[in-house]
Amino acid sequence: MRKSWLLAVVALAAVACGGATSSGPATGSTIVLGAPLGLTGSLVKESNLTQQGYSLWLDWINTRGGIVVNGVKHPVTIKYYDDTSNANQSAVLMQKLITEDKANFLLGPYGSAATATDAAVAEQNQIPMVEANGAAQSIFNQGYKYTFGVLSPANKYLQGVIDMAATLNPKPTTIAMLSADDNFSLEVANAIVMYAPTKGMNVVLFKKYKNGATNLSAEVQAAKAVNPDIVLNSGHLTEAIAINKAAKQQKLNAKIFAYSVGPSTPDFITALGKDADFVYDGSQWTPQVKYTPAFYLSEADYVAAYKAKFPGIGDPDYHVAESTAACLALERAIENAGSLNPKKVRDALATLDVTVFFGEIKFDSRGINIYKPMVVEQIQSGTHHTVFPPDVADAQPMYPTPNWDSR
Amino acid sequence: MIDFVQLVILGLLAGGVYVAVGVGFGLVWGVLNIVNLAHGALVIVGGYLTWQLFTVLHIDPFLTLPVDAVALFVLGYTLQRGVVNRIIRAPLLFTFLLTFGINLVIVNILLAIFGSDFRSVTPAYSGQGLELGSVVIPYVPLISLGVAVVLAAALALVLNRTRTGLAINAIAADRDAAQLVGIDLRHAYAVTFGLGAACAGVAGGLIAMIQAITPTAGEPYTLQAFVVVILGGLGRVSATVVGGLAFGLVEAFGQSIPGSGSVFANAIAFGLMVLVLVTRPQGLMGRLR
Repeated sequence: MRKSWLLAVVALAAVACGGATSSGPATGSTIVLGAPLGLTGSLVKESNLTQQGYSLWLDWINTRGGIVVNGVKHPVTIKYYDDTSNANQSAVLMQKLITEDKANFLLGPYGSAATATDAAVAEQNQIPMVEANGAAQSIFNQGYKYTFGVLSPANKYLQGVIDMAATLNPKPTTIAMLSADDNFSLEVANAIVMYAPTKGMNVVLFKKYKNGATNLSAEVQAAKAVNPDIVLNSGHLTEAIAINKAAKQQKLNAKIFAYSVGPSTPDFITALGKDADFVYDGSQWTPQVKYTPAFYLSEADYVAAYKAKFPGIGDPDYHVAESTAACLALERAIENAGSLNPKKVRDALATLDVTVFFGEIKFDSRGINIYKPMVVEQIQSGTHHTVFPPDVADAQPMYPTPNWDSR
Repeated sequence: MIDFVQLVILGLLAGGVYVAVGVGFGLVWGVLNIVNLAHGALVIVGGYLTWQLFTVLHIDPFLTLPVDAVALFVLGYTLQRGVVNRIIRAPLLFTFLLTFGINLVIVNILLAIFGSDFRSVTPAYSGQGLELGSVVIPYVPLISLGVAVVLAAALALVLNRTRTGLAINAIAADRDAAQLVGIDLRHAYAVTFGLGAACAGVAGGLIAMIQAITPTAGEPYTLQAFVVVILGGLGRVSATVVGGLAFGLVEAFGQSIPGSGSVFANAIAFGLMVLVLVTRPQGLMGRLR
């Protein structure tokens, strides 16, 4: 057995080195990863963050010579295409990456919509796609075998805020839930409608609005009419900014303002200034979390590496971190598989269980990571602080949020 | 009742932005017969100008609006003189293609300069408002509505009281006859496009104060301008004012339908547009031509 294993290594090394005998670490073929991203269009901001996460890992792995497969180092390149933030275009480009660019493995695009269309392409071609930016569970309820998401699914996004609220005094009891009408946002919102009563809270208003809306004054007015303790929004950065602006203008006061996506990005603070203070969000990751990574960098080293490569734009946000985590999952799965065969790597992904700076990466039978917790962040004096759960928190929640007039 | 009053106020205030976006679009469409798909991009150029002047030079955003207008007038004039004039008599499809192309170029130049970060102009008085009982009238949208109405009035004045304006009106009425009486078509076209762009610039300055902008944030405004102009009626500035305010109101009430929210707001606005087209093809306030 041992002999045949040795033989295989020698054979592989021989092939890789073109038959030359060499005592140093052998270099194998370049592994091509493919990723369509919205480098133009409405998702350009988040797509850039995704690309930053991918490129941080790419630099790191290539300075080490590449991914080690059976003792052979395979350098890595990532081939990107601009899907113009269009989910259908993303799928077309994913197919192009597979057939024309011969991508060995796939990294996800940004957003649940594009991830859903790309997952179908990955499945048809039986090439594993590891993604970090599509959290809608509908992607993972299709019975796909080749799509793996390293992030916590949509239903978890705002549950942490509810868990946190249950520990606060005076305990908030009423919730106004605003939600964009896309799949992902509705999953986040519907999960709260189910979950809040188990913590003794009631959703007294549920209001859908059009994805990407910039004028949400009527929604905010409806929320004001029910005078809720908690205002939750499930949407994206644009809508989060619009709601916060309207809340101030229309004097909607609440003890907690929490938005699923948006406040974690630096733009939320630069766009709103001190009005961004006190806002909570559910975050996949913050620079303050403390995990014990099995490989790659620690949280602090990761932040330092990010700041060195992208100076002047602050800490990495969770979009960056989760995108790097997708690369780490793929890397470890390829190493575990000891092969570049897509089927074997898929099987290695399915059984993967590893903790990195981003948290535990392990997939349920559908391919989504339900094992990593979400954390709750709050903006305090213009800075992000992790406030829940207490064991990873670096600050106490500032509660209740003061009225707009007394800030 | 208070909610109703508040919604009417919010709808009218939102309508101010649509008026500002609509007047320039309607002018270019009415006179040049160009549906300017780059209008939203020009709006955002104005937004970035205001943002730059506010963040770098700390100028009050409302005082930057004249700068937006002048800069965008020059840009619009140059675009028309240098590019759009070449296809002015070509079929409508060509003008669609060209202005769509200009839109892409502007958006990507903005992306190259400013990146994709969300920018917002937040002066000290942002978010404050006049409180009348439990009805709130926020200052920034209120002043914006005022600016939009003044902008429309100024445009109407230019069109109806100046030689250049009369020339533009003459072209809108009959292009060939206007040329026969000695109007310099190319110049008048460029002035028209410039005026439209100037209005877009002012609208952009207002939008940067009301929402967060990115280089791609202008696209919805092109569509909204289209609806506003059809609702009001082509060919008169005052009609666009009515169209813009009506659109704001429809949107506010569409958003507040219990259970649905703004999911149907666009459907309602477009439904209204179809209804207007069927029953009053000249628009709510338009004249038959």
